[in-house]
Order: sequence, then C-alpha cells, then structure tokens
Amino acid sequence: MKKLAAILMALMLVLSLCACSASTTDTTTTETATEPETTEATTETTEIPDISLTLWGSELTEFQDALRVMADSFIAEYADEANITIEIGAQSESTAKDTILTDISAAADVFYYADDQTGELVNAGALQPVENADAIAEANGGYEAGGVQAASVGGTLYAYPAMGGNGYFLYYNKEYVTAEQAGSWAGLLEAANAAGKQVTMQLNSGWYLYGFFKGAGFSCSLADDGASTLCDWNTTGGTDVVQAILDITADSGFINLDDAAFVTGVQEGTIIAGVNGSWNAGTIQTAWGDNYATAKLPTYTLNGTEVQMGSFDGYKLVGVNAYSENVGWAMRLAEWLTSEDNQIYLYEATNGSAVPSNVNAAASESVQSNPVVAALATQSQYASAQSLSVGGNYWTPTETLGNILANGNPDGTDLQQLLDETVAGIEAAVG
Amino acid sequence: MNKREHDGKRLFLPVRAVKDWLAGDVFVKLTPLLWGAGYIRRRQFIKGFLAILFECVVVLFSISYGFPNIAKFGTLGTVKRATVYNPATLKNEVNQYDNSFLILLFGLVGLLVLAVAVVILMRIVTEARELQQKDEQGVHINTFREDIRDLFNQKFHITLLSLPSLGIIVFTIIPLIFMILVAFTNYDQQHMAPTELFTWVGLDNFKRLFNNSLSETFGYSFGKVLGWTLVWAFFATFTCYFGGIALSLMINNKRTRVKKLWRTLFVICIAVPQFVSLLLVRNFFADTGIVNTFCSNAGITDFLKSIGLVGQYLDHIPFLTEAGWAKFMIIIINFWIGVPYLMLIATGVLMNIPTEYYESAKIDGANALQTFNRITMPFMLSVTGPYLITSFIANINNFNVIYLLTQDVYFTMDTKLAASNAKDIDLLVTWLYRLTNDYYNYKMASVIGILVFVVCAVFTLVAFNYTFRKGREGRFQ
Repeated sequence: MKKLAAILMALMLVLSLCACSASTTDTTTTETATEPETTEATTETTEIPDISLTLWGSELTEFQDALRVMADSFIAEYADEANITIEIGAQSESTAKDTILTDISAAADVFYYADDQTGELVNAGALQPVENADAIAEANGGYEAGGVQAASVGGTLYAYPAMGGNGYFLYYNKEYVTAEQAGSWAGLLEAANAAGKQVTMQLNSGWYLYGFFKGAGFSCSLADDGASTLCDWNTTGGTDVVQAILDITADSGFINLDDAAFVTGVQEGTIIAGVNGSWNAGTIQTAWGDNYATAKLPTYTLNGTEVQMGSFDGYKLVGVNAYSENVGWAMRLAEWLTSEDNQIYLYEATNGSAVPSNVNAAASESVQSNPVVAALATQSQYASAQSLSVGGNYWTPTETLGNILANGNPDGTDLQQLLDETVAGIEAAVG
Repeated sequence: MNKREHDGKRLFLPVRAVKDWLAGDVFVKLTPLLWGAGYIRRRQFIKGFLAILFECVVVLFSISYGFPNIAKFGTLGTVKRATVYNPATLKNEVNQYDNSFLILLFGLVGLLVLAVAVVILMRIVTEARELQQKDEQGVHINTFREDIRDLFNQKFHITLLSLPSLGIIVFTIIPLIFMILVAFTNYDQQHMAPTELFTWVGLDNFKRLFNNSLSETFGYSFGKVLGWTLVWAFFATFTCYFGGIALSLMINNKRTRVKKLWRTLFVICIAVPQFVSLLLVRNFFADTGIVNTFCSNAGITDFLKSIGLVGQYLDHIPFLTEAGWAKFMIIIINFWIGVPYLMLIATGVLMNIPTEYYESAKIDGANALQTFNRITMPFMLSVTGPYLITSFIANINNFNVIYLLTQDVYFTMDTKLAASNAKDIDLLVTWLYRLTNDYYNYKMASVIGILVFVVCAVFTLVAFNYTFRKGREGRFQ
C-alpha cells in the first residue's frame, strides 16, 4: 500500500510539474509569436480582438458552400478590425426555432429561419433588434414591404430579410392544362378529368388551407399577446367557403397530397397540376421539361361567383441571437449575408431557389426571368404575411379542419359547428 | 467491538443527535459549529479534517448558490432580462436578471444539499458523543486506517453502495423532483426562461387537465388519450404474448422440420433496427404507398368500399390516416414486430417444462388442448408473469411504434383533440412529447407525466400483488 501511495504521489508531482512547464512554454511561444507582428505592424494590430461566430443555414450542399464563400469574404472584409473565425452549421430554416428555443444561449450567433417563426422567437427573446433598421428596411422595399413586415413585431425590425419567394403558387403541365384552365379550380378539374389524371393541393395543412378563406375575405390576425390568434372564419359566410372546398374535394380529379407525394405524383405522371412552393421548382421542371409552367393560384367558385384564392407570403430571414457574446459582429455578419451582392450571389449559387428580397437584387434580369418569381409576384397582391396573421395555435386545428374536408366531412358534421370548434382551437390561449 | 453504547433500542436520528449534543462535553457542543471538533479532540485528525473540509464545501456552496436561489424560490425570480445594445463595444449590456429555470434548479439542489448536510451533521454529533464515551471508558478509538479497513469489512455495504446511490440522486431523483415541481408552475411558451420569468400557480394545471370547454379541451383529450393508451397496452401486450407462444409451439412441434431455419428467420426480424422497419412499413402503408397500389389494382379497395370499411369518397385505404384503421394497423404492425421476441422467450420456457408432465398426462388420456390448458399455459404464466406486467407497463410508454408509424402522416379529424394538440392515436407519452417538443408546454407535459407515473404505479402494484399472492408460483402443478 505504501509503495502504491508513494508511486501515486510521485506521479502526481511529475504530472503537475509537466502541466506547469507546458503552460509556461505555451505562453512564451504565443508571446514570441506576437512580438514580431507588433514590431512590424502599426499599433492598431495589437488591439485586434479574436471574434468567433457560429452561423446556421440550410442543410442543402449548395447553401452550405455558398455560406462558406460569403463568410470568408466577410472575414476578409473586416480582417484589419478583428480576427474572425466563423463556424457554419447545418440547420434547416423551417425548424430553426425548435433548435434555438431548446437552449437559446447555446444556439448560433447568426441563423437563417423561415418567417413564420418570427413571433415565437421574439417572444422567447431570442432575436436581437436590428441596429440600423431604417437602412435595412429601405433596401428591402421600405417598412410596408412584405419581407420587412415579416421580420418585424410591433414596429421593431428583428431580422434581416434574406430571401423572398417562400410562398406558394400553381405548377401546371402545359401538355394537359391550358393557361386559361389553370386560372380556376373548375378549369383544372375539367382538364384533370379529361386527361384521366389528377390535380392536387395539400388541404390538411393550415398553410395552404388559409388561401381559400383569405380569398373570400376572411382573416386571421395576431392577438395583442403576440402569440395567440384571432380568427373570423366562423362568422357569416364561412360555411360557404367550407362548402366550396368540399365541392372541389368531391371531384375525382382532385387529390389531397403532401409535399413528397406531390413530387412523386409529378414524376410518375399522375399529377398534372398542383399548388406548391418554389423549393420543388427544379424537380418539377426536370419532370415536365418544356411543358413546365407556373401561374398565380386559381380562382374557386364561391356561391356561384369566382373568387381569387389568397395565400401566405413566405420569407426567409437572418436572425441575430440576442444572447450572442459578440452581438455587434453578429449583426454585421447578418447584414453582410443579406446585402444586395450576396443575395444575387446566393440566388445564382442555389440555381434560383433563393429568391432575393432586396429590391435591387430582385430587379436584376436573371431573377426577373424566372417563372417562379413571376408567379409569386402575381400572387403576392393576394397574399398576407404569415408572421403577422397567425400564432402558434393556428396550425393544429386548421390541419384537422383541412383533413376533415379532404376526406369529404365523413361524419357529416354540421359545417358551422365544424368552424366554431376549429376557431375555438385557433383562438385558444397559447401555453 | 462495542460499537453501540446506547441502551439497546435506537432512537430516531434527530432525537438522538439532540440528546447527545445536550449530554456531550464542550467539544461535542462545539461540533455543529466546527464539524471536526469532536474528532480532533479524540485524536482522529484526518476524520476531523475531512469533516471540516466537507463543512467548508457545504457553506461555500450554500453562500454562492444555495441561499441566493433558495431566497428566490418562493417567487422564482422577479427581475426580467433587459438588454441595451452598446454600439461602441459591439456588445449587449445586460441587467442582473433572474433566470427562473436556474432558480428552480439550484434552489432545489441547495435545499437537498442542506438536508443531506443536516443529516450528516447529526451523525457527526452522535459519533462525537460516542467517541467521548469511549474515551471516558478507556475503550480503544479507531485510527483512520482502522476506519478505512472497516469500510472494507463490517461497513462494506457503504463502500459498495454510496456511489450508485449518489448516481441515483443526481441523475434520477433531482430531475424527477424538478419535473414534478414544474407541474405546479406556469412554465410554457409564454414563460420561457431565460428571457421570461415563470412562477408558481398551485394546482391550476391539474384543474386544467380535468377542465372542459370549447377552447380548453385538455379534459376531453386526456380521457380519450388515456382510454386508447390502455386499450393499446392491453392489445399490444396480449397479442404479442399469445402470438409468441403459438409461434414457438408451432416451431417446437415434433412434426415441424428444420426448426432452426424457422427460428433464425424470425430472429432476423430482431436484427433489423426497429425504427428502420417501422419507417419502411409506414411508407408501405402510406395513402399512395405500395400496399394501396396493390389493393386498388387487385380490387380490394373497391371491395372494402362496397362493405363500408372505406369511405365512399376515398380512392385508397386509409391504413395510417383514419383513426379506426390506424389503430388497427398499429396493433397489427406491433404484433409483427414484437412476436419474435416472445417466441424466443416462450421457446426457452417451453424447453424447461419437464417432459414427465406431458408423459403422465398422455397416460391419463389428456388431449392436446387439456395439456396446453393445464400444463403449458400455467407454467408459462408463472414464469413469465412478471414479464407480462413489465411489458404492459412498457407498452403504456411505447413511444417508438406509435410515433414512428404516424408522425407526419396522421392528422386527426377531431377538432377538440386538435385544440389541445393531441391526436386519436396518441399515447400519453407521445402526446407529452409533442407538447414539450413542438409546443414548449412544459407545465402540462409535467402534469401528464405525473399522471402517467400514477397509472403505471397503480397497474404495477395491483398486478404484482395479484401475481405473487399466496405463492401462486407453485400452482401449475
């Protein structure tokens, strides 16, 4: 025992000595390393701080590569002010909120996210208000522009608009559907039945379902607490909208498909038109080739008259973590990433899926010639910003309502009752 | 060794400690102030030093973490986070804010540390008094080395079990108490630490769970989800159980050839990770999946339509998208996944039934059904009884099967369930998961967690009590 203890003691002594000597050599080397620099360079360089930032963006390879390029140019731009290192992580914009709210202080300093999360992120105190809000707003079309509104809560700008075009519109196959038919659900169904194929839209999703009600003049808005939703779908006329949707789903030319099934259907040739977003543009264009076409959303028949469908506008934004150690540098990086030049760069690097939100970038020729952008631009006059319209409890009840309608209201529930229950769920206090 | 000088019966520790402290000499009296005093007086220097060291740690922890947080424990904090951006330093200036989450956690840990410290102090006092008595009577007092040796001999249980006990306290008890406490707060998406504060709300959350109105449907959802959870647990347990026994009986039958081949085939099912097979099966049975294509081509869809099992407006079988169908499919798929395990267990048990029983049964003229009812089943039940109970409980909490099969696929058609973010096919545990993971509703999730615990505890106690009563193990004979 004594021997063992002695050996242990000796070991500890030796190790602690090692540790001491190691650390001393460490410091000396760094000192010697910095010394020649100071003699060479001007006095400024001695004060250069080390800044390390984390950046989260879409997990798609082309995005990750483009982010690296933009981050490197940022580092080069500010090389004489700070010694910056940027670590890039993959975090899908659509689920950024879930990861960030789990532990805000451990989340990235700068992150891309989809605009439906603005309210919840602001409520959780995760977003740093934008410092030079006026300039950012102006570059993106002023405070009234959709992208800026999507990034604002209560008049304060909380994020940097990065991409527009995250809404939805109609894809159709010119081989079966004429441009005129693509203008209305009646025309689409007629084309589908004539060809023995189907047209689709995902009804069991509050995101898409909103379009019918919005088109008929109904609205949802965010309550004063910034998290709950106010909704008037169950007022007079609401049941007519429900009946109009039921009329569409009753047609054998219509099928309710989710995103993945829509793409499969297009590739297999069973789907000739569908409501979907820009993220599938490449795949669908490949499948349909020259017959690929896009349009604004169709009209639908409400009490015998044709009504234009509304929609949600969608934006992707860059947020700065309010708990960041280097919040100032994080804001500079966010501004850098969303600058005019970098938005065009990102648009080109991602083959057109990152539609610019910056006015000048969006006006550029390559962006304007994109059919997706054209369809979204036409649709945008009927669209409203998601972040201003709906809170957290909107999604599950509307998903359920959409599912009941997609299945043709199998229990034959009274439509007014259906709407009353849905609205009660939507308006329920969050938490 | 005469370790216990106290007269026969042992008093309750606090009473004993106070009595000893009153009766003790000045060093025993001094012990609560300087924990090592008693030891050092009796020349147990190392022990005395350790006691003082421990005291220092407790005092330091309490001053730096314990007391500040315990002081705020009643309100869980009052100062909200506020920041001002300073353009000159490029940093945020943050006020001294309260983090309700950390206050709750450190307050709890602080209280536990204090409780443990008090218990240890009371032991130290009684020990100091014991040492004083030994000293006065001239009895030998252990040196430090002798104490250590004791830890490997008479007190070996302390040496063995102190580390596991510490682990259980840190990793099980503290989180458990923490989660229970959350059920009495308003910790949800509107009150998320560190930005917002949350506070105690008493029994409000429990009231909410049994409350029912148009927009407050937790009561309705809880009843529905609990009902399906129990139905599911019953079917999931017993279909697999009897299926496994039937399968192993078939394989073990004398007339079955290449037994090993069959057994291996079924064991291969186990080798594939469960979540892989579940996700694959989910795709097979999707509305536009391979099974539906087959059924529609083979005319099965139309047949089911004509007998009313599939809605008239559908052109597919809603395997995983309609409540009734989904529940049925979930049980069937779970059966398919769970049977191989039961087959293995049943095979092991069946091989252990003495063949004499069967032989004598045969001589007495019993038929196959009688032997099964009187010999095989009782033997199986007695051996696998505890397994049945635990698997029933495990099925109540069977997250994988339900979640993986229905996530992103199943949408409820019940507006009341939707209002409280539940689905027809949700078990309590998947509902709880959705509430925390998607909706940050920690308070309601805690309440549901507590009730899951209650349900499981009641079932376990009743079932174990019933199984082991009157030595039922021996009854199969």
